[in-house]
Amino acid sequence: MVPESNLPKQMVSLRGVSKSYGDKNVFSNIDLDVAAGEVTAIIGPSGAGKSTLLRCINLLELPDEGQITIGDKTIKAGSTATNKEGEELRRKAGMVFQHFNLFPHMNVLRNVSFAQERVLKRSRKDAEERSRLLLDRVGLADFADAYPARCSGGQQQRIAIARALAMDPEVMLFDEPTSALDPEVGLEVLAVMRELADEGMTMIVVTHETNFARDVSDNLIVMADGKIIEQGDPGQILSDPEHERTKLFLRAVLGR
Amino acid sequence: MTLLITVAAVSIGVVLGVPLVVGLRAKNFLVRLVSRGLVDLIRGIPAIVWLFIIYFGVSIGAFRFDSTMAAIVGLGLISAAYFAEIYRGGISAVDMGQWEAGNALGVNRWTTFAQIVGPQAFRVSVPSMTSYAISLLKDSSIASTIGVTEIVFFTTQDARSNDGGLTVYILAAAIYLALSVPLALLARRLDASLRKKVSR
Repeated sequence: MVPESNLPKQMVSLRGVSKSYGDKNVFSNIDLDVAAGEVTAIIGPSGAGKSTLLRCINLLELPDEGQITIGDKTIKAGSTATNKEGEELRRKAGMVFQHFNLFPHMNVLRNVSFAQERVLKRSRKDAEERSRLLLDRVGLADFADAYPARCSGGQQQRIAIARALAMDPEVMLFDEPTSALDPEVGLEVLAVMRELADEGMTMIVVTHETNFARDVSDNLIVMADGKIIEQGDPGQILSDPEHERTKLFLRAVLGR
Repeated sequence: MTLLITVAAVSIGVVLGVPLVVGLRAKNFLVRLVSRGLVDLIRGIPAIVWLFIIYFGVSIGAFRFDSTMAAIVGLGLISAAYFAEIYRGGISAVDMGQWEAGNALGVNRWTTFAQIVGPQAFRVSVPSMTSYAISLLKDSSIASTIGVTEIVFFTTQDARSNDGGLTVYILAAAIYLALSVPLALLARRLDASLRKKVSR
C-alpha cells in the first residue's frame, strides 16, 4: 500500500471537464493529470479542442461541467465560483498566447512589471528588479525600454514568457507558442521553454512542434474530435502510435 | 465665444462619454437599457430643439440657465452621447487578446479596462473625436438661435442692420475657416504622434 503522501503531487488535475459552444460540443468528460515539474504536450488536428481545453485550465473559457484543480485550489464548473476565485486560480497559472498579446502602449519593462504591481502588489522598484532579471533570463535584458512594436515576433514571445513568469506561477500554459513564428525564430522561443522545463517548471504545451514534444515533454497527449485518443510516452507515441487517427495526423505533421 | 462653447462642450463630452460607454457595456441588463435609452434619446433630437428645451424649459425654483450655459450643457450632453458611441467602437476595435492577456495575468476586469484596453481604445478613437470636435465648432452656430453672442449671432445682427450684405457672411465663413483648418492640422499631428509610439 503506497501511502498517500508518497504519490507524486498532481499540480494540475481536470476531472470530467466538458465544454460546448451552443450546440457544438467541443469536448466532453476529459480527465487530465499533470504532476509537479512535469511537461505535458498536447498535439492533434485543428478543431480537436486542444486550445479550448488549455484555456479552461485557467478559466479563460468557462467549462460547462467538471472541475479544475491547480495546486490546492479547485473550481467546479457552474458552481457559485465567484470572479474572485477565478482570479485566484488564474494567478497560479501563467499563459503564453499564440499571438503574444503584449501591451503595445507600454514599454517592455512595464509590460513585465504591470501585473506584478497591480495584482501581486509589489512596489515599482521590486517589480522592475524582478522584470529585469527575467528579461535577462530570456536573453532580452537590453530591450527593457523598447516598445513591443519594435521587437521581432520571437522577441515578443520571449517577453511574453517573461511577463507570465513574473507572476511566479505554479504552472505555465502555452497555447501554440511558436505557431505564429517562422521556424528559425521559433527555435529561440523553444530554447527558452526547454530551459524552463529543465528548471522544473510544470508546463502544459499545446503545440505542433513534434520535436519539442519528443525531446522535452514527459507526457504526450493526442487529442482529436474532442477526445483524448492517446496518452503516454512521447517517443513511443510519435514513433509507433496505436490509434488510427493519430497515425493519420502524424503522417501529415512528420512527413512534411 | 464660439471657441468657448466648443471647448466646453467637447470637454464635457469627453468626460461624460466614459460612464455612458461603461453603462452601454455593462453586464446588468437594466443599466445597459437605460444607457442605450439615454444615448438614443439625446442623439435622436436635433441640437436646436435640445437647446430650446434646456434654455426655455428648465426653471427649477429660481434657477434658469442663461443662454451660454444652456448651449454648453446642451451641446455637452449631445457630445457625450456621440463620444460614448465613438468609445464603444474604439473598445471593440481593441483585440480580444488584450483582454485575455490581462485576465490570464490575474488583473481584474476593471483595471484591465482602465489601464490596458482603455488607453488603446482611446488612441483608436482620437481621429473620430477630433473630427467631431471640428464639426461642433461649426455647429455651435446653432447657439445663436437662443441668443448666444457667438459668430453667427453677430453676423446676422450685422446683416439685418446693414440691409443684408454678402460681405459679412463671407467674413463669418473666413473666421470659421481660420479656426477649423489649424484645428484639423493639429488633429492630424496628434494622431500621427500617437501612432508613432505603437507602430513599427
